[in-house]
Amino acid sequence: MAIIERPVPATVAGPVAPTVTPSSSLGVFRRPVTSSGWTSWVFTVDHKKIGIMYGVSAMVFFLVGGIEALLIRAQLAAADGTVLTADVYNQMFTMHATSMVFLFAMPMAAAFGNYFLPLQLGARDVAFPRINAFGFWSFLFGAIFINTSWILGGAADGGWFMYAPNSGVPFSPTNGIDMWAVGLVITGIASQTGAINLIVTALNMRTRGMSLMRMPVFTWMILVVQFLLLFAIPVITVALTLLIFQRQFGATFFSVDAGADPLLWQHLFWIFGHPEVYILVLPSFGIISEVLPVFSRKPLFGYPFVVFSGAAIGFVGWGVWAHHMFASGLGPVSVAVFSVSTMVIAVPTGVKIINWTLTMWGGKLVFSTAMLFAIGLVVQFTIGGLSGVTHSVAPSDTQQTDTYYIVAHFHYVLFGGAVLSFFAGFYYWWPKVFGKCLSERLGKWNFWLMIVGMNMTFGPMHITGLQGQPRRMYIWTEERAGEGFFNIAFWNRISSIGAFILAVGILLFLINVVYTHRRAPIAPLDPWDARTLEWMTTSPPKEHNFDSLPTVHALDEFFHRKYEDVGQGDEHDLRQVATAEEILAEQEANADHHIHLPSPSYWPIVLAFSLPIIGYGIVFERVIAIVGAVILVLAMFGWALEPSVADDSDYDPPEPEPGTGLATVGSTA
Amino acid sequence: MTVAGTLAGVLPSGRRQPILRSSRPALALGGVILLVAGCAEDAPQDTWQPAGPNAQKIHNLQWPVFAIAGVVMLIVMAAIGWAIFKYRDRGQPLPKQTHGRPTLEIALTILPALILIGVAVPTVGTLFALAETDDTECYINVTGQQWWWEVDYPAQDGCGGIAEPIVSSGQMVIPIGTKVLVRGTSRDVIHSWWIPALNGKRDMVPGRLQTVRLEADEPGIYAGQCTEFCGLSHANMRMEVVALSPEDFATWKERQLAPYEAPAADTLAAEGEATFLGQCARCHQVNGILDADGVPFISQPELYVYSEAAPNLTHLMSRNTFAGASWDLLIPACRSEVWGAPPEEFGALYLQGITPECLNQVDLREWLRNAPAKKPMYADPTELAATDDKTRGMPYLALSEEQIDQVIAYLMERQ
Amino acid sequence: MSDAGAGRPADEKTPGEGAPDLGNEPADTTNTVTETIDEIPMGGVPEPGATPTVDTGEERTHLTDMPEETADRDAHGGDAGTTGISNNKLAMWLFLGSECLLFGGLISTYMLYRGRHSGSLGPDQIYDLPFTSVSSFVLLMSSLTMVLAVSSVARGDIRNTKLWLCITALLGATFVGGQVYEFTTFYREGLGFTTSLFSSSFYTLTGFHGVHVTVGIIMLLALVGMVSRDRVTGDRSEVVELVGLYWHFVDIVWIVIFTLVYLIPA
Repeated sequence: MAIIERPVPATVAGPVAPTVTPSSSLGVFRRPVTSSGWTSWVFTVDHKKIGIMYGVSAMVFFLVGGIEALLIRAQLAAADGTVLTADVYNQMFTMHATSMVFLFAMPMAAAFGNYFLPLQLGARDVAFPRINAFGFWSFLFGAIFINTSWILGGAADGGWFMYAPNSGVPFSPTNGIDMWAVGLVITGIASQTGAINLIVTALNMRTRGMSLMRMPVFTWMILVVQFLLLFAIPVITVALTLLIFQRQFGATFFSVDAGADPLLWQHLFWIFGHPEVYILVLPSFGIISEVLPVFSRKPLFGYPFVVFSGAAIGFVGWGVWAHHMFASGLGPVSVAVFSVSTMVIAVPTGVKIINWTLTMWGGKLVFSTAMLFAIGLVVQFTIGGLSGVTHSVAPSDTQQTDTYYIVAHFHYVLFGGAVLSFFAGFYYWWPKVFGKCLSERLGKWNFWLMIVGMNMTFGPMHITGLQGQPRRMYIWTEERAGEGFFNIAFWNRISSIGAFILAVGILLFLINVVYTHRRAPIAPLDPWDARTLEWMTTSPPKEHNFDSLPTVHALDEFFHRKYEDVGQGDEHDLRQVATAEEILAEQEANADHHIHLPSPSYWPIVLAFSLPIIGYGIVFERVIAIVGAVILVLAMFGWALEPSVADDSDYDPPEPEPGTGLATVGSTA
Repeated sequence: MTVAGTLAGVLPSGRRQPILRSSRPALALGGVILLVAGCAEDAPQDTWQPAGPNAQKIHNLQWPVFAIAGVVMLIVMAAIGWAIFKYRDRGQPLPKQTHGRPTLEIALTILPALILIGVAVPTVGTLFALAETDDTECYINVTGQQWWWEVDYPAQDGCGGIAEPIVSSGQMVIPIGTKVLVRGTSRDVIHSWWIPALNGKRDMVPGRLQTVRLEADEPGIYAGQCTEFCGLSHANMRMEVVALSPEDFATWKERQLAPYEAPAADTLAAEGEATFLGQCARCHQVNGILDADGVPFISQPELYVYSEAAPNLTHLMSRNTFAGASWDLLIPACRSEVWGAPPEEFGALYLQGITPECLNQVDLREWLRNAPAKKPMYADPTELAATDDKTRGMPYLALSEEQIDQVIAYLMERQ
Repeated sequence: MSDAGAGRPADEKTPGEGAPDLGNEPADTTNTVTETIDEIPMGGVPEPGATPTVDTGEERTHLTDMPEETADRDAHGGDAGTTGISNNKLAMWLFLGSECLLFGGLISTYMLYRGRHSGSLGPDQIYDLPFTSVSSFVLLMSSLTMVLAVSSVARGDIRNTKLWLCITALLGATFVGGQVYEFTTFYREGLGFTTSLFSSSFYTLTGFHGVHVTVGIIMLLALVGMVSRDRVTGDRSEVVELVGLYWHFVDIVWIVIFTLVYLIPA
């Protein structure tokens, strides 16, 4: 059975998969032509398929990172734990963070962005579809590359922040850090190319009538994030390059004996690292800003404020990086400046919380699972954001930093922020992507177990952190645990139990996916009575997204096509004037006659494949790197020289028979 | 699942959806209570139990900010809780499609900004107060190394006058009521010096000299840990600050600078001295120890240890922790007596040092028997290529039980 | 905060205006095709009802359209959905923006470490300013020839396009050759990659720049090939401009490097 349900057409017969015949030019450089089966995924350039692949891969690494977390919590459940040795523990927390930040959260946001940005803009694909595919495969190969380090001598063990000089060869002799650094350069390429792609798409390919201030908030947030990526990834690339040169070629960038300053790494890393955390959380703000209005049955409160605060966060986020370095000895002037700038950034973040709450205020709240996750996010993120404000007070932060209080903060904003939003997005958009709604009953269980588990795991960390339990330690001892109800021992145990409850909650989601795939009925086109353009398509959308590209007259265009205000004067009376099915039918009836779609291609995956080969070469055997470089160059030329299209990839909508009246509202007589 | 059904707020099963107002705000409220009450008990590294003016300044800044944050959280939770209750779908028609209210939004933007300005001003003030170094009354140096702390007192007029440098490790002894300035660096990777009861943490960065103020109000022992990830045994790199009255501190100084007393001939300790010279002294300095030829023996840890130093054991038994302060030299009963002593009795108890009946034989013997097995370190000779065949930490010495007895007897005299 | 009228029917199309055939507006290249560098056959959309042409592939290294496209969009009631510059050009600008951060990081590292060369050669001892000035001049001139290439192709002057592109590539190669000569000289004089922090930072920074120039030369030569095969005509000539943007950027970075690294005394 297909993973994606074939769309049930609203009115006309469903689209026929276009038949394609191979182009006959240049032999070897033919374009692939399949439209089904695994090859249609491997060589696809369709943003929707790429989005799904990003999502599935990200989910796999979420589970990997989750297992790493469960092992950590198992080790810390009791004093002087013996589940993991110190060495393995150090690798475990390094890889847990790396997996979660780079291999789960960023690609999951890319999944949502890739799938929905073109749809929300009224476009048919992104600006550079092959580069889009290349980005995905680079990410996947980079992610696998990093994880092979587990079996190739040991994973990286310097923490995801990888401070120098501890990241140097004398202090970490295995290949783990080398593979970590090279792998992150590879995944960085994916993010970088994706950023350029989505920015050009959002700026250049909006449908008619869609000014920037009519773009959905999700699209806006994704756009801001891409700008952050565009400028932050080069900085981490520089840092990683310096580290690789140090470890592989004997450079002394971080060798104190040669006169190096270890703080150079910290500055480079955090100039990337702070925008990175906004990269992680802004897409979530976007998703929530879509979900809350739909299930509150009223528009987002203060759209311009939400948009501008998102942009402000992106902008000010470049000026706060040294708040990760308050204890590093920067001197009081620098610390004061960054302390104040960190407080400044709390303001636009607070604006969002206010706007979301006021969106719900006065609404007609429907508590679907997606809405539960959305409300959960507002609550959890508020907690995390407020603890963040307490960190901005630099003298306090010197007591808080490197303790579990910080761990509590960022898990509340990342788990309570990014993760909950992804789940909200899943439940919200699943019917559009896969044609079926996830089970609401299982969904409620999923949600509550996750909320309880999450708060049980990370809530107590506020306490243990303030009680003096430092981070990144493979054991804690009874001697430093204190006594009484708030002792560290008790709360570590609670945290560990909570982690397993959280795991069960996530397991329920996976069960829900399988159950839905097997048993659930086909969903209607617009089950939630939504507001934005992606809902003006079939479920799942046809390969070319829209039969005819919509013209946009207002924010929440789709909603305005369905509802008309027939009230008099000050009175408002919204009346439904069209259903989603009718609107879709009209679109189909006016279908563009000739739709050219980008053809699949071999070269993105081949080019991407050369990257880990070069990576293995750098770390292990330089000859392999040369082989990889040759593949890279050949793949680039193959890409540039391949035929622009495979044959016959046009979609021709079938012509409705005269007189059946199927095609449009008010069809030809 | 129908559109209409969803809109009417009815789940496919036909049940009305549950009202959520009770659980979430309550959970949050509970969180606040827990947070505020988290300071109540006596974890030795509790950050909300300041024992000196620097930590007190931080505390005075911190708890009001927490309180404000708590109040904000309650307000937000209440608003959300109320909205969930009042505006849930009860079958009413589509609500008014408000797009926003600029004046309200601007006001609610300005309000948090004002609160934060109110927080920023004392923050900057406290920051600069804590960075003050001109009023120092005593200088103490620390050097972090994988995975222990070296503490040394340069000769100075401060601290009541120190005639010659004192070198110790793991426990920093200070006089109460004295503005101590800790100056620190590292010999290898970045570590961090943190005694929560006395001040915030400061990273100890190789190649740089960083400072942090310390002052204790009352005699006692104040626990800390290295708080910058420094590798394998980051969890086993602890330290304490011991605050003594000025008289007790003078006594302590005197003992630290007392000349070396060799063990009496033909005692177990004398055999221990010989074993120590043979097995330990190449890394561990004991000031004044003479080798077989009567020449003062100078340790050379730089030949064996990658970070080029090992703890000075001249007065090991004047402290009560060892191996990077990871284990106690005192058995639990004696330990709780010393650590839990009220301030007026603490000095005398601490200055007793380690008596034979209080010695923690178990941990000390395990350590001497096989240090790398007890504390994760890099000491396997076959795996030291990356560090020029030098260890990071103490190696396995294959001491016999008899040798261990001798060494312990010898060390017991290092008071 | 827009609050446009609600409840308007889906499209401007009025009932009865012909269903299956192109209703509203002619299928518009802007929105019906995905604008990638070689995805779309140029020159508008085939007639309705025409059989799709068999694409032999060879001729089809296309660029995005631009002038025609914007005119088209404008004709349909103004347009809020695009910046006005082509996808490829916008992408190149964004890419160059990110490169600023890359070189910024490397330059910062160099500036931090330029004085850390205890005991070994430092900038004052090793740099040969006259030589480097000449190679900098060569690179600057190559930007001039690049401009000439772009203006040639805009005029459709194929022969001069090829000429100026070749000269640009040659000047670029001369610059790279000068760099290689300089590095080997430094190496022989005792400044290896791992000699000091100064040397590591210097070689890393200038090495990255040199690699960028080399990639630029390869692109220039590829352009010469494309021009020879007559694939860079009309609207497709934008690719020359894009390579030009890249080349100028690389040149500007060199001006910054030359000033900070060579000219400003340590």
